[in-house]
Amino acid sequence: MRLFLSLLLSFCCPPLIAQPLLPPPDARGDVLIRDATVLTVTNGTLEGTDVLVRNGTIEAIGADLNAPRGVPVIEAAGKFLMPGIIDAHSHLGISSVNEWTAPVTAEVDVGDVVNPLDLGIYRALAGGVTVSHAMHGSANVIGGQNETLKHRWGTFDPEALKMEGAPPTIKFALGENPIRVHGRGRDIRPLSRMGVEQVFRGAFSEAERYAEARAAYLASIEEGQPLTLVPFDDRLEALAGVLAGDILIHTHSYRADEILMLMDVLADFGVERITFQHVNEGFKVAPELAEFGAGASIFSDWYAYKFEVDYSTAYNAAVLTRNGVCTSINSDSRELIRHLYHEAAKAQRYGGLTDDEALALITINPAWQLGIDDRVGSIEVGKDADLALFDGHPLSIYAIPEVTIVDGVVRFDRNADPDDMRLRVDPAVAVDEVTLHATSHHLHFTSNGIEMHTHGCMQGVEQGFNRLLRR
Amino acid sequence: MRRLPVLLLLLCLAAPAFAQRAVTEDTPLRPVTRAFALTNARVVQAPGQVLENATVVVRDGLIEAVGAGVTVPFDAEVIPADSLTVYAGFIDALGYAGVAKSEAERPDIENPDEPPREVAGLTPDQDVRALLKADDARIKQLRELGFTAAHVAPRDGFLAGTTGTILLAGDTPEALVFRGDMALLAQFDTAPGAYPATPMAIIARVRELMRQAADQHDAEALYAELPRGRGRIAYDPVMRALAPAARGDQLIVFVVDNSNEAFRALKLARDTRTEVYLAGLPDPSPLADRLAAEDRPLFLSLDLPEPVEDDADSTATGPAQAATRTFSYEGLDAERATLQAKRRDAMARAERSAALLDSLGVDFAFALMDMKPGDVQDNLRRLIAAGLPEDAALAALTTGAADLLNLDATMGTVEAGKMANLVVTDGSYFDEETTIQMVFVDGHKFELATEEPPEGADPDAVVDAAGTWDYTADVSGQSTSGTFTLDGNADALSGSITTDQFGTISFDSVTLDGNVLTMVFSAQGMGRITGSGLIEGDTFTGSLDVAAADFSIPIEATRRPE
Repeated sequence: MRLFLSLLLSFCCPPLIAQPLLPPPDARGDVLIRDATVLTVTNGTLEGTDVLVRNGTIEAIGADLNAPRGVPVIEAAGKFLMPGIIDAHSHLGISSVNEWTAPVTAEVDVGDVVNPLDLGIYRALAGGVTVSHAMHGSANVIGGQNETLKHRWGTFDPEALKMEGAPPTIKFALGENPIRVHGRGRDIRPLSRMGVEQVFRGAFSEAERYAEARAAYLASIEEGQPLTLVPFDDRLEALAGVLAGDILIHTHSYRADEILMLMDVLADFGVERITFQHVNEGFKVAPELAEFGAGASIFSDWYAYKFEVDYSTAYNAAVLTRNGVCTSINSDSRELIRHLYHEAAKAQRYGGLTDDEALALITINPAWQLGIDDRVGSIEVGKDADLALFDGHPLSIYAIPEVTIVDGVVRFDRNADPDDMRLRVDPAVAVDEVTLHATSHHLHFTSNGIEMHTHGCMQGVEQGFNRLLRR
Repeated sequence: MRRLPVLLLLLCLAAPAFAQRAVTEDTPLRPVTRAFALTNARVVQAPGQVLENATVVVRDGLIEAVGAGVTVPFDAEVIPADSLTVYAGFIDALGYAGVAKSEAERPDIENPDEPPREVAGLTPDQDVRALLKADDARIKQLRELGFTAAHVAPRDGFLAGTTGTILLAGDTPEALVFRGDMALLAQFDTAPGAYPATPMAIIARVRELMRQAADQHDAEALYAELPRGRGRIAYDPVMRALAPAARGDQLIVFVVDNSNEAFRALKLARDTRTEVYLAGLPDPSPLADRLAAEDRPLFLSLDLPEPVEDDADSTATGPAQAATRTFSYEGLDAERATLQAKRRDAMARAERSAALLDSLGVDFAFALMDMKPGDVQDNLRRLIAAGLPEDAALAALTTGAADLLNLDATMGTVEAGKMANLVVTDGSYFDEETTIQMVFVDGHKFELATEEPPEGADPDAVVDAAGTWDYTADVSGQSTSGTFTLDGNADALSGSITTDQFGTISFDSVTLDGNVLTMVFSAQGMGRITGSGLIEGDTFTGSLDVAAADFSIPIEATRRPE
């Protein structure tokens, strides 16, 4: 009866505008991509090859595969299939970026504030990006925990976007940002790069003492002889998780000296796994990074936007790669994320990386940095069917992403791509007069119903920070 | 803000006048009897359960008897209710009627990481009963809509405090209280400039606090039993206040504004193993299946989005043909029409959401939150027009709310033995033509005064109200002046008023009934103001009535020559 009523309701009041029907978030699709040039990244380039996907997983790669009954076929002759692009540094799809109120906020987690309605996710899909690493900002020395998102656009449920099984990660930040917010802003440590190091050492030492005391307390309960209560502390629990290697570190960093400093600190506390983000001066310490086993996630050629990134080079990717550092190129931007394949191509122009080396910068390498390289980042049998189909070679400036597939489900198709892909429309926001304005080279249509925000590492800081300074 | 002092001055000047009137006119007399008999009424005992020609006997705050053959007691005030309908008094499932707004100055924050907990919004030990104000205008406003009880909550803080149920009549804060300590109120209310400054940090903090409170509860029990050789557990009012919720013994009502917040609150409930009801959420449709699957009730906000009309151009284009791509400026009209139609769809989806919840079997009751009282009945009608059965709407106002709030022993139906909370109307509550005649709260009768037309009113007179009028108003001897402008004919008037204090304000409504002109507008800090009076030629004489302050300002105006 209830079902009947609910059906009746949906028939009585059909929506007036046909919304594109989006697959459910937990869908795992079947598809056969036929006759493509397959850029496996880990196993070379396979011409005229079919890729069969069953239930969201790559089941077979080879020539002349048969499509089982009911499996849709994408004819891809002349087209290029690559692994879904992975962005190791993004702030898409989350409602909070910086909890800037303390130098250490390890307990907060952007995974708690995933925003599946962020249109940027769909735009990233349109650039072939299937996974992004939604990060806490860089206001704090030890910021919050990050979340690895699969771009399953089309759901209202934040949990559905989280990549199940991806290891937890946390954001650290070196240099000017935490010094500006906390040192200059509030006259507390860190006032200098030296202070940043001491914030790490202090926090780690405190976490070690806490973990020991808490473990002893919990054990005493088990034994029926409870000691004095050691209160649960989420911040120190998270830091203990970092020290235990359960939470992978991704740190905002620019200068060679501070990169060496953090590796020293981690060595002292026995932490082995870290990825340096931005790492503009990574080229100066590439052998040291390689020896430590650290990853580097960089911009292709973005620098000189602040003092500490003055000394940078577009050869960074090539220098790091050739020194054996696992290197990726990230966006940290809602705009750049749509053409990371261009960014990878620059590493060929500057430094002459091979096709596979360049593609690895946006696929298998960021997958390793996020601890998900057993699942995604290359086209291999048994891996998740996260795929991007281009009409030309993705390292060509002329290539256009045509179809993006997540878990075997087509989440972006250039042939079915309406202007307005918002999932949620706010009835309280009036439709503005659509404005047509011209800049030197482009015509823009903008309409206020469609959000256009910029995101970045320091998002959410300025407002609160200024308020604080006034006080 | 700059205008506020002027306003306060005016109110202060007016104050002696009220005080005097209160003594001479409003001294309450002890009622002769507290027994009433509503005879021959249509009694809606509960949704779908109707008695015709029945009598309801009320005595000393209780419903004494209900039925067709009930004898009218000799000492009862008999209220002939032949054409009237009696409902159980409505219950606001969550709101802020009678709850004072915080006036505390925000202290300076020395350390944003560890602000004073009032600044952080961590006040679970705050009891809404300590925040009540008996003279809050909203109590009367809701009562006059048929609400007799309200589940109310502290306004501020992410763990704001405990909720309670009040009766919507009473001379003192204490008299309002029906029950306290009902649920813990949680919400994503950040502390700008201090921790938690983001919803992200609120979630982390709540998760930690719940764990700590449960731990501390156990440790305190242990310490009470075996203090020897063990460190003392420091007294912490926050931990004490949170322990019942943390242990799953107290309900948490989580106020959410949108689907993202709702999903986050549900995740937090799962992580902390606490019992959570959601409240708010004008459009719960994205979660409807989830709520049904979890059998989780909802205090659904009645504060629907404003109605959205079609773009005038869209009928020409036809939204169904709207392009999914706009390639040139020639397509802009179609694009605008499409965007407008999408807005309207989103609004319509919110209107249908109550019907959807009902069809899925989700238990819900209506929460008025902070909505304008004037929208309550309109919005109920919108939900019904969108498919919500009237009985389901009535249940959400009465039985459903009483069940969800554990008030069903005393409220929600018209049955002998229950509290005499009643609404008496001259027709179906949901009919636009119906007016509420009286309301009983705890057996006290409140008649809704029907406005007497002013002396000299002539419903048959034909006058023109359009034009620009120069007015002077007399506020306790202080004269103030300005203009108001009216456009249109008697059937469709609109306009605005310009005052020194508030600048230009558009009228919410203007009506002309014969020679009686009524203009309604709202001014910041004053609430709703109704100006009404008589037009004779080019003069207007009447008053401005400020509903929230219950006082009246004489006003005179003359029309400027064309």
